[in-house]
Amino acid sequence: MSEPVAPETVVVIDDDYAMRLSCTKILTKMGLHSQTFEDGARGLEGVATAKPGLVVVDLKMPGISGMEVVSRVHEIDPQIVIVVITGYATIDTAVQAMKCGAYDFLPKPFSPDELRLIVNRGLERRRLALESQQHEIEQTMLKRRFVTFVSHQLRTPLVAVHQYLDVLKSLDQSSEVQAKRQEWTDRCLKRVEELQDLIADWLTLARVEGGTLTKERIKVDLSRIIPDILKTYEQTAAAEGVSLQSHLPESGLCVAGDRNCLSVLFDNLITNGIKYNQPGGTLTVSGSPSDGEIVIAVADTGVGIPEKYRPYLFDEFFRVKDEGAKKTPGTGLGLHICKRIVSEMGGTISVDSLAGAGSTFWVRLPAWHEPESPGGSPTDAGPKTNTDCG
Amino acid sequence: MSAKVLLIDDDSDFRAAVKSLLESHGYNVLEAASGHEGLQMVAAHKPDAIFLDIMMETTVEGYGVTYALKFRDDFAAFRDIPIFMVSSIQESPDARFPMSAEVEMIRPDRYLTKPLDIPEVLRLLDEAVGASKGVPA
Repeated sequence: MSEPVAPETVVVIDDDYAMRLSCTKILTKMGLHSQTFEDGARGLEGVATAKPGLVVVDLKMPGISGMEVVSRVHEIDPQIVIVVITGYATIDTAVQAMKCGAYDFLPKPFSPDELRLIVNRGLERRRLALESQQHEIEQTMLKRRFVTFVSHQLRTPLVAVHQYLDVLKSLDQSSEVQAKRQEWTDRCLKRVEELQDLIADWLTLARVEGGTLTKERIKVDLSRIIPDILKTYEQTAAAEGVSLQSHLPESGLCVAGDRNCLSVLFDNLITNGIKYNQPGGTLTVSGSPSDGEIVIAVADTGVGIPEKYRPYLFDEFFRVKDEGAKKTPGTGLGLHICKRIVSEMGGTISVDSLAGAGSTFWVRLPAWHEPESPGGSPTDAGPKTNTDCG
Repeated sequence: MSAKVLLIDDDSDFRAAVKSLLESHGYNVLEAASGHEGLQMVAAHKPDAIFLDIMMETTVEGYGVTYALKFRDDFAAFRDIPIFMVSSIQESPDARFPMSAEVEMIRPDRYLTKPLDIPEVLRLLDEAVGASKGVPA
């Protein structure tokens, strides 16, 4: 339910009493709040206090000219819509008024319908202008928040390193320093690595967003590249006590994409599956073609992702804030990168998770279609049978 | 008795460095990794000064701590503890919440930028703690 909105105010400035009266009558009937003034000076005062959405002003008045009123109203608020009333044969003046910022003009005499039409159009235009201004403000705020956040993320590890070195230097005369030196050097190295990871991930993201990584569409068989990635993580997994399993066909999981991009995608998912697992756990990658898609599942046996976090999991810089996960280093960009890559390729990524039992990430990518050979028979084989592309 | 300084910051490395520094200058250092934990520490230990990180990931952000300490009745006994607000970005509440009347409610005693300037921090702390306790650290 929206809040009841106060009626928009329209100010009418005209030296003709009958005109003021009939305008008020029409505007009130339209559900608008009208205020009338008999000359420019009073009218401008009225505009300043009433803050109307629209001003109707007669161009030919004693005292301050209507033309001057037009420009002074916009000094008060440039968003106020101005409609000028002109006597016969003063179209030139009307055009001049519009050059000064008036929205439209009404030549005298005009019918109630004409006034209604022009007022409604004017107020609609104002509403749209205010909306787009609001949208612009929101966009700027969003951008500013993003920049603040990113610079905070980049500075935090640097600050820690800097502070360690500063303190180490200032402690130099004391005996404690020997004990601290080794420990702090190690921590500094860790934080520098963290920063490097963040910069690397951010660059990948920028490339994916800029399209440079996803532009290339060649035939890539996932049943070939995923085992290669798994191989590079054998040692890491063993060190964490996680066993790696692969249920992939020998071939036939072909998609159209960039090899590097796809490597980044599965590299991220596999690393996560190892990082957020538990000792004795398993990481299983399985894949199969299904209905014109290639479906890959990366399943871990970690602590799972609480339901409340799942909607944000693929957002940039989002990290699960539970104690276990917080200790695991990460940039908060990995899954966001995955999502960007997958959607650039026209696919989807989703997650199933059961608290305490682990999470499964599902990647669905459009299957590779052989381009029709020129002059040859059209490939009649449906995607289901067209599994071997190797 | 040496003065107690509470460090509220979610970066354990930053806390470790500052803790060593302050300890080497005779301060008794307490640590909290979140605003929530920080408020508990304040209530339990009544520190003489607080270093408070503005941008923390946890539920009670820096400004929440300042607000609680300066305005909440259950923290009335701690209203005079000097708060040094610390951030890696030069960011005062005035800049973050422009034109907002609430700015007055979250204004700390002092802003410092990370990494901390060691001589400045030691001087400020000495002034603050000396002033509040009447004894130099």
